[in-house]
Amino acid sequence: MIAPQPAAADPILQVRKLSKRFGGLWAVRDVSFEVAEGQILGIIGPNGAGKSTLINLITGHLRPTSGQVLIDGDDVTGSRPWVIAHDRVARTFQIVKPFRGLTVRENVAIGAMHGSERDRSVRDALATADRVLDLVGIAQHAGAAPSQLSVADARRLELAKALACRPRLLLIDEVMAGLRQKEIEAAVELIHKLRDGGISIVAVEHVMKAVVAISDRVLVLHHGSVLTEGPPQEVLADQRVIEAYLGRRYMKRRST
Amino acid sequence: MANSWPTLAGIAVFLAMLGLQQLIEPGTQRLLTAVFLFVALAQAWNIIGGYTGYASFGQVAFFGLGAYTVAVLMNNYHVSFWAAMPVAIVIGVAFAVGIGVPLLRLRGHYFAIATLGAAEGAREVINNMTPVTGGGGGITIPTFGDQAPTAYLGKPGFYIAFLVVAAASVAIAAVLARSRFGYAMVAVNQDEDAAASVGINTTLVKVIAFGVSAAIVACAGAFYAFQQIAFYPTDVFDTSFTVLMVIMVVIGGSGTVLGPLVGAVGLELLAQYLRVNLGIYNQLIFGAIIVLVVIFFPQGVVNFFRDAWRSRNFSILDNVRRYRL
Repeated sequence: MIAPQPAAADPILQVRKLSKRFGGLWAVRDVSFEVAEGQILGIIGPNGAGKSTLINLITGHLRPTSGQVLIDGDDVTGSRPWVIAHDRVARTFQIVKPFRGLTVRENVAIGAMHGSERDRSVRDALATADRVLDLVGIAQHAGAAPSQLSVADARRLELAKALACRPRLLLIDEVMAGLRQKEIEAAVELIHKLRDGGISIVAVEHVMKAVVAISDRVLVLHHGSVLTEGPPQEVLADQRVIEAYLGRRYMKRRST
Repeated sequence: MANSWPTLAGIAVFLAMLGLQQLIEPGTQRLLTAVFLFVALAQAWNIIGGYTGYASFGQVAFFGLGAYTVAVLMNNYHVSFWAAMPVAIVIGVAFAVGIGVPLLRLRGHYFAIATLGAAEGAREVINNMTPVTGGGGGITIPTFGDQAPTAYLGKPGFYIAFLVVAAASVAIAAVLARSRFGYAMVAVNQDEDAAASVGINTTLVKVIAFGVSAAIVACAGAFYAFQQIAFYPTDVFDTSFTVLMVIMVVIGGSGTVLGPLVGAVGLELLAQYLRVNLGIYNQLIFGAIIVLVVIFFPQGVVNFFRDAWRSRNFSILDNVRRYRL
């Protein structure tokens, strides 16, 4: 008898030659990468590089023009967002999307009652929400309205909503943008804690320092295509990356 | 449980209204029957328009279809009302699902206009199915002697019937509001992308909400048809029913269980008071009052008082400023 291959043999996320065209513009073109279980992949790139589009393609908020998305080896290309969510993939949005009119606690509970392995009662979901709020550090705002939160806490709420879905793969879209140094450090610590808790992470980030601090590997997007991919220090030393990010003029100025 | 008092209050009001029937004259009974009808219609609109955020302007289609299903079955096929009424609900829900699947992809004004068109279309179909529905000549439900499939309920009977329909609609709304489905409706209302990303099947939630709403309206339409005995398509497909549902919910406070109740009771009683006391000017004054309430309480009366109670700020001027930026 041949023992069945353990499921862990497949990477949790595989993206194969993924492309998205808006009219005449290729927002994402032929992007391929993998995320192994327990890994943190950072995705960086200048504005308009296609980072958010890439996340939207993976989570089903956009349908790819071509290419494939595989979760645990299963093809989920073009599935609706809630199907992806039930596959234990959660995400945050770059522009936070709280459910107004509900408390912070209820916002998080919605993920707990509708995500994967969901709680069967509202009461259980609210209890789950309290634990998640505690984890991300905004338990003291549980009863507040989302509009009362600071920028940093609103980002934490966005993260808490995703975590309440009990993901194995978490896609975070610029959770550190606009945060102060102290807040970034706290966020980096939290992300490491989540990874240690068994969650694989794809982090789209603009803040370079944060990317280096959290990522096992970094992928650089430029004009919708992969510029390079590798360990953070190596990627950041790459001339092409510096050029894409800071522009030729900066390079010239520095060399003179 | 700390939160059981609204349930107890609801049951108490229901029993009080049941007892009240013995004490009031037929005219008041008829007025309250109309109030109950609008409570049910407003609660139904609130489920799709308030909680889920899809302002349907075609709700009267379910009302008319419910009415005509009952009338056709009772008149043409001699089916008892109690057998015809569930069929009316099924037809209403089927129509809601049929138009909901394509139309609930539209948002905002587009959904409103499309549902309005669907209701107009439904009326025209009924209007032109003359061999079955009697067409524009109207339809009559036999209510006397052997010809009657079900004995006419009379004023006391319809008072109780509409009271039960209203109470059931409030109970359905209250149960939904506290359920996981209720949170899903609110999430869809606020942000569909965010709702979908936390695992909510937004298409399913919208269609179910529309279907539940249609079921209540079709049921109310069925009782209304029986009560009216004879009517024309223009009576039961009258867009003003839809408009009243919307106004009652918006004024009472959408997205709450209490709001449609307050809006329906308040506006129907107010309209009656104005009709009796102001003669030909009653519509003018009624309209002016609605405009003023919307200006001063844009979020609805119930939501205003809830927010005011929480913030201990009952200033109407502050409220206008907050919502008129």
